[in-house]
Amino acid sequence: MLESKNLTRKFGSKTAVDGVTLSLKPGHIYAMLGPNGSGKTTWMKMAAGLMKPTSGEVTFQGEPVGIASREQVAYMSTEPYFYAWMSIRDAGKYYEDFFADFSMSRFKDLLTRMDLEEDLKIRTLSSGMVAKMKIALTLSRDAKVYMLDEPFNGIDLLARDEIRTTILEAAREDKLLLLSSHLVEEMEAIADQAVFIRNGKLIEVRDLEELRETDGVSMADRYRMIFGHGEVN
Amino acid sequence: MFKLLKYEFRKTAFPKLVMLALTVLAEAAFLYGYFANKEDAMGTAVLFLVLLTLVGIALMGIMSLVILHRDMNTKQGYMLFMTPNSCYKILGAKVLECGLSLMLAGAFFFALAVLDMDLVLRREGVERIWDVFNQMLQTLNTRLEINVPNVLAVICYIVTSWLCTVTTAFLADVISSALLNGRKGNLFITFLLFLVLSYLIGKIVSLVPATGTIQAQFLYQSLISLGFAGLMYFVTAWIMEKYLSV
Repeated sequence: MLESKNLTRKFGSKTAVDGVTLSLKPGHIYAMLGPNGSGKTTWMKMAAGLMKPTSGEVTFQGEPVGIASREQVAYMSTEPYFYAWMSIRDAGKYYEDFFADFSMSRFKDLLTRMDLEEDLKIRTLSSGMVAKMKIALTLSRDAKVYMLDEPFNGIDLLARDEIRTTILEAAREDKLLLLSSHLVEEMEAIADQAVFIRNGKLIEVRDLEELRETDGVSMADRYRMIFGHGEVN
Repeated sequence: MFKLLKYEFRKTAFPKLVMLALTVLAEAAFLYGYFANKEDAMGTAVLFLVLLTLVGIALMGIMSLVILHRDMNTKQGYMLFMTPNSCYKILGAKVLECGLSLMLAGAFFFALAVLDMDLVLRREGVERIWDVFNQMLQTLNTRLEINVPNVLAVICYIVTSWLCTVTTAFLADVISSALLNGRKGNLFITFLLFLVLSYLIGKIVSLVPATGTIQAQFLYQSLISLGFAGLMYFVTAWIMEKYLSV
């Protein structure tokens, strides 16, 4: 469904993503894992069509990502990206204006569950409140692919539980979820696949159940093996 | 396109409202001077109104340029570029917003000038005012006579040539953001590029022969400016579509 072939992105002399070939299929929740600067965000931005690759390509349902894919791929950036004049209601209206799959009633429902009031100006929100609002906006779309970059950043434990529940509600057989996070244990409770990336290179993609059964290790253990000691066992 | 246009207008609303509020204040001062027979107040208000007209027209283009730069170089650009719209539509909405704002601002300030002139005419008499203006223009050694078709031709020329300047600046800014991003001296290169393009376009526009009526000359020059604005738009959108990362 979402594939990258020999995808590379360079910033001057630095290579952020280095020849990544990756195929993500519907019906799964992928955890994209790697230390800071490993290329997770850059890969997601290219998959969202926001960033052009230096070489290689990203395809969605066999077609290069672009205008058509943006109708079905919901991307949530880790950085705040809203216009300064916007209230939460304005942001919802904006999504409703541009995304045919956006449900205002679902958005309002999620705001209620996350204790957010529509009248609040986004610039007055705490980072945790912005994070919750971004989740509510993104998951109010009935997209085929959800890419959430660091969805748990700056969020307290209770809100994190709410977000985890909301993410799991979005998971269906025909949908693909890709999440990146530094909170590996948190991700283990959600994901069924793990994508390990280091220094812009894809290390491996593992089925977490198989990892536990055959290797007898958790995703967090595997993370420590790969990134803690610098080598793959 | 309409939705994109709606948000482009929303993004530039605040400075426009500030300009409107200042213009209302200046107009109130003019009316006070007129009805209270205080010529000093009236004169000062007229000066401010002329200044606001010039700044207002300039602001329409500059705001569009600032917003485009922000959309390409800050995270707020995700709001725009993650929507399922091509760069041709996105830039088209920006150019349209700029063009419509220029036309609306031009029409607004023109209408205000006509209303204020009408008040003064009632007191001073029509012929006296035309005489004063035409004497001023003769002093400035121009062969332009003040009459409605000429004024409209001049406004049309100002609006289209400013639109052409703004789209040229769009192109320079997009080249800077999409192709030169992160390189040393890119602002200097961008500015240089803008100056060179503007100079070349200005040269071509000035090639219109100084024959025929003054209205015809202004209209030809307006058409050439519009053509260049269109060309700049297509080249800029193509670069954005192919190379721009936000």
